[in-house]
Amino acid sequence: MAKHSPVVGRYVTIDVDGYEYKVFYLRNGTGVPLVCQHTAGCHNHQWRGLLEDPEITANYDVIAYDLARHGKSDPPTNREWWKEEYLLTAEHFMNFITTFCEALELDRPIFMGSSFGGNVALQLALHHPDKFRAVIPVEAAEHAPGFFLDLWRHPHANAAQVCASGVWDLMAPQSPEMDRWQTWHYYTQGAEVFKGDLHFYSVDHDMRGQLGNIDTRRCPVIMMTGTYDYLTPPDATENTARQIPGGIYIEMEDIGHFPMSENYPLFAVYLKEALHIIENKTASSAPA
Amino acid sequence: MVMSVRDWAVRFSEASDRDQTIGAMAKYFTCTYLWDMGTAKVIVEMIDGKVYRINVDPAPMDAYDFALRASPQTWREFARPIPAPMFHGIWSASFRRDLKIEGNTLALMQNLRNFTVQFELLRKVGVPV
Repeated sequence: MAKHSPVVGRYVTIDVDGYEYKVFYLRNGTGVPLVCQHTAGCHNHQWRGLLEDPEITANYDVIAYDLARHGKSDPPTNREWWKEEYLLTAEHFMNFITTFCEALELDRPIFMGSSFGGNVALQLALHHPDKFRAVIPVEAAEHAPGFFLDLWRHPHANAAQVCASGVWDLMAPQSPEMDRWQTWHYYTQGAEVFKGDLHFYSVDHDMRGQLGNIDTRRCPVIMMTGTYDYLTPPDATENTARQIPGGIYIEMEDIGHFPMSENYPLFAVYLKEALHIIENKTASSAPA
Repeated sequence: MVMSVRDWAVRFSEASDRDQTIGAMAKYFTCTYLWDMGTAKVIVEMIDGKVYRINVDPAPMDAYDFALRASPQTWREFARPIPAPMFHGIWSASFRRDLKIEGNTLALMQNLRNFTVQFELLRKVGVPV
């Protein structure tokens, strides 16, 4: 008897700033839409544990897409993209996400992303607070310099292995070996876009001095970071959350920068806490 | 009691040469690197995935491709079975602790997959400081 997953994959074509993208996404569950962004240079399989979590999918419509150029989402189909360097910006990243959510006719989804997905979650809370029920920036901070490096795709080195092993110790040593190597495997598949993604992560994303303008009454912000994350260590996230009026910070013990992928059962404990907080906040702020 | 650097070299060589993860992709794992642990220094010479030689008493002009330098305390943290946060790898320790990575870092990148596995063998082998 074959074992089929309840997760279903689909494509949708969208136009973002004149770029035509055929976007692949995985989906499972019913209820409040929960849109998930993978980390830089990776793809939506990082959310495999969440997508198959019966406790969460009983109440949430979990949607994990591949950002354009990642996984099964191709580069733009209407551009000679190979003739220009890929450098992701905050504006295009946000436009991609809001356009994708509109294409799927989602009603004010919760947005959750990790690493550069976490940083764009902060951007969405500031610039599009009415389009999202709440955001969960995972492993995020107001500013994350230092990772926009040429070595990610140096032609004299095996870029797949450099990217995969270069992020290896972003994971906690306690995380299951199988899951860490699976994450390593995912990272061998995105070497050509990793550096371009990191242009957003380390260069274009700089929200210093802007966090006080986030209105968490319109869009609650629940930040979560693992203790083994050296790129956005816990104090960086905590400092970011503290500057957001009403911002909440949850520290995740014994986990790293890819929590949903390196140790989902542990991540789920913290995620359920975050979702519970959002349920309470959005229930109390609903119109009478 | 701290093990001697000679004993460490034997233990490290054996652990590396029989490591299955390195063995699975050993071909072309060829580079020479210095580990400066403060009170002990070694130059490890790798050829096609095997430890060819460990120089336990490097002279000033002995050559290597790249070097990792940190305090003895940091190397002892690297060698814990489960290192504390920020001591759990060369990237974390170079971003957040006192580890310095010097020399031809391209050579490190060319061998990064296996070097990373080999570095974590310190959790089993220990360090001579």
